[in-house]
Amino acid sequence: MTIMMPTSDQAVLGRRDAIVAALRAIVPGEGVIDSAAEMLPYESDGLMAYRQPPMVVVLPDTSEQVSQVLKYCFEQGIKVVPRGAGTSLSGGALPLADGVLLGLGKFKRIREIDFDNRVVVTEPGVTNLAISQAVAHAGFYYAPDPSSQIACSIGGNVAENSGGVHCLKYGMTTNNVLGCEIVLMSGEIIKVGGKSAEHSGYDLMGIITGSEGLLGVITEVTVRILQKPETARAVMVGFAQVEAAGECVARIIGAGIIPGGMEMMDRPAIHAAEAFVHAGYPLDVEALLIIELDGPGVEVDELIERVEAIAQGCGSTTCQISTSETERNLFWAGRKAAFPAVGRISPDYLCMDGTIPRGKLPEALTRIRNLSEKYDLRVANVFHAGDGNLHPLILYDANKPGEMERAEAFGADILRVCVELGGVLTGEHGVGIEKRDLMPEMFSEIDLNQQQRLKCAFDAQGLLNPGKVFPTLHRCAELGRMHVHGGKLAFPDLPRF
Amino acid sequence: MATKSRSSLVDTLRVRDAKDVEQVVRAAIASEQPLEIIGHGSKRLIGQPMATNALLDLSALNAVTSYEPNELIITVQAGAPLADVLSLIDSKNQQFAFEPINTARLMGTPNLGTIGGMIGAGLAGPRRIRAGGARDHLLGAHAVSGFGDSFKAGGRVVKNVTGYDLCKLLAGSWGTLAVMTEVTLKVMPRPESERTLVLRGLDDVAANRAMTAALGSPFDVSGAAHVPKSAFQAAVNGLGDHGSPREAVTLLRLEGITASATHRAAALARLLAPFGTAEIVEDAASAVIWSSVRDVQAFAAEGALGAWPVWRIVCPPASGGALGERLARDTGGDVTYDWGGGLVWAALPPKPDAQAALVRQRVNAVGGHAMLVRAPEEVRRSVDVFHPQPSGLAALGERVRHGFDPKNILNRGRMTRETPL
Repeated sequence: MTIMMPTSDQAVLGRRDAIVAALRAIVPGEGVIDSAAEMLPYESDGLMAYRQPPMVVVLPDTSEQVSQVLKYCFEQGIKVVPRGAGTSLSGGALPLADGVLLGLGKFKRIREIDFDNRVVVTEPGVTNLAISQAVAHAGFYYAPDPSSQIACSIGGNVAENSGGVHCLKYGMTTNNVLGCEIVLMSGEIIKVGGKSAEHSGYDLMGIITGSEGLLGVITEVTVRILQKPETARAVMVGFAQVEAAGECVARIIGAGIIPGGMEMMDRPAIHAAEAFVHAGYPLDVEALLIIELDGPGVEVDELIERVEAIAQGCGSTTCQISTSETERNLFWAGRKAAFPAVGRISPDYLCMDGTIPRGKLPEALTRIRNLSEKYDLRVANVFHAGDGNLHPLILYDANKPGEMERAEAFGADILRVCVELGGVLTGEHGVGIEKRDLMPEMFSEIDLNQQQRLKCAFDAQGLLNPGKVFPTLHRCAELGRMHVHGGKLAFPDLPRF
Repeated sequence: MATKSRSSLVDTLRVRDAKDVEQVVRAAIASEQPLEIIGHGSKRLIGQPMATNALLDLSALNAVTSYEPNELIITVQAGAPLADVLSLIDSKNQQFAFEPINTARLMGTPNLGTIGGMIGAGLAGPRRIRAGGARDHLLGAHAVSGFGDSFKAGGRVVKNVTGYDLCKLLAGSWGTLAVMTEVTLKVMPRPESERTLVLRGLDDVAANRAMTAALGSPFDVSGAAHVPKSAFQAAVNGLGDHGSPREAVTLLRLEGITASATHRAAALARLLAPFGTAEIVEDAASAVIWSSVRDVQAFAAEGALGAWPVWRIVCPPASGGALGERLARDTGGDVTYDWGGGLVWAALPPKPDAQAALVRQRVNAVGGHAMLVRAPEEVRRSVDVFHPQPSGLAALGERVRHGFDPKNILNRGRMTRETPL
């Protein structure tokens, strides 16, 4: 493991039996797991290169139990790591050896569907897709659609501010969540927001979303649902140069068209996907764009014509337009299966997640290609091109000595490139442990201190998910210290009125 | 302590850059002098009257740092005049999709303020139901905290989950957390065409049902408002030929490429046939209607109800009609609706407490919140302008504020009423 986690508290580990017994008193029956064999599935999340058995797993099924578990741990000074479905790609749910792993898997009930207010009130363990399925009969759906939507939980989506293919037009989780119930580390249960478009006071919902399980444990979520567009069609365009595909993306957006989704794949990704799902992708192109237009038929037809013309203007070499739902789904099948497809051609791969300004796509690709040569590792690129979110997949073999370390160094360099090009370290997967030590590439110490002061408002003792997101942990007392610089309100050099 | 005449004895510090802001805030911390943060002062009459005796004036920080239409982003200094920025992005056929309110008419101020004020107030217009609020369009910010330190929040790209999303907190924080010096905002293409369906004569509850039906349709409605029949609104509601004191109007907006807007307008009119025959208003005429709705022209300061206190009530959208109708009836006041019923503007006959107890009791019952946007200073001094929160939530909010500004230097007391000693 190349990431340092907080030192284990031996005193806590020494009290393990008493802690397990106390948790059993709160969550009876099978809700507390302490045998090594049964804890095995909880050792890692979607970032499988990292594993760590927790001290104990607890699976409460009511907010009250969550509150009691947290209160107990708060009073005893025990660290807690929350976990949804365990699909995080950044290690957000990686356990701590001396920590309680708090799983929300039993919160599986949709509590209320309110079509008039266009919201669903749900428990956090419900999967992303299950929400859409529960409202599909009335023509509604929940817009954010991470690739893992069949498995990932809505609570985890809120914690990570998950995105997906359609967030170009419909926004990320943060733009589609209205409220939540959150349990603080102290055990206090707080309701934030509800069915209204905005809530009173500071936008705490906005700060809880994407907080990666560091601020509180989400026990209920209120999400906004939308009516499905009348129709959707996809255009698949191939280019002989990556630069031309990048230009096409920029021109489409520049023409005022916001597609439902706009994805790009490079040659290695196209070949891997085609070999896996036989979607009919052209194999003689350097870049493939899948552009989905949705809305009323008249709108989709007209926009497809415009997109086709733009693509031709950028020198596209192939262009296919879906004529049926089956064909549209086939276009997407390859893209959606890109990760497992790459998994077939390499024993291991690392999925990166930086974002860059759209216009820098060609430059980013060139630099990734150069890095690939430098590190002597293959890379396949899939992008949410519409919003500049890159997912380079670095291929490696963990069984070859040093190769994983090389892949990680390659990945870190890609993220540095993203920041250098005016972008950010992570577009939708979260910082977790994966990008934690790269945070100073993007933020100064002052920036990071300000973020950690927010943590202090929710969890002053730093017991909830420590070791994630922030490379250095500070005590709240230290962060709150004010460095007074002296002086009175007198500024001879400032203009006064 | 003697009461100072605020206008004459207040120190105004006109900063030129972020370093100046740091210097002013640090000195204010050292001398324990709270600062009022202003741009053009267009929203100074909103909020709890503040206990500050120096002004930090950001209006000289007014440059457009960069505008990249193809990237759909603009970076501007906080003191940039909103009017200038709007006309700049308009020249590239772009807009702020959340339709920021121009509060000038409502508050009776001469201009619409600065970008910083727009974000700090976070007041979004009709398109909020579809495009989100200011918080959804603020991608990044540079700001100076109450520690006197410049920090960066967010970034310059749309998709970003790196660290806590501090931008969400800054939007709508009324300058109480940090002094924004520069912001990066998302801009969106302006729709080619717009159509507005006008339904006449519906009562508030029926109108709420019509708006609910429209927003539950696949026709991508981008505005849903209702202006009830009102004796008060003659000539001031700005709806031109489309509003009248004798007849309520329900308004539904569709935007997009021309073929699509036309198609959806016709389809929506068919869907809403049970509520009456819809007249369809196009483009420029439609735009006039929505700027009137956005800016709450019905309750304009120079209008018939200009002296009445105005509440901004945000509630679950399907509950708005019944809430507003009862509130108007029981107080003798007047209401208008936006956001499909999720936003109720209420002008109530003047009372010393602006009828806060009644408003808040009704609003709490439906799970909403109410802000007293316009009222004389003495009323705002004795009433909670912002909706009181349950104690746990309020305490959490206060801890968050403390994490940004422990000495309570920035806009002290603007969002929470200081309990008199």
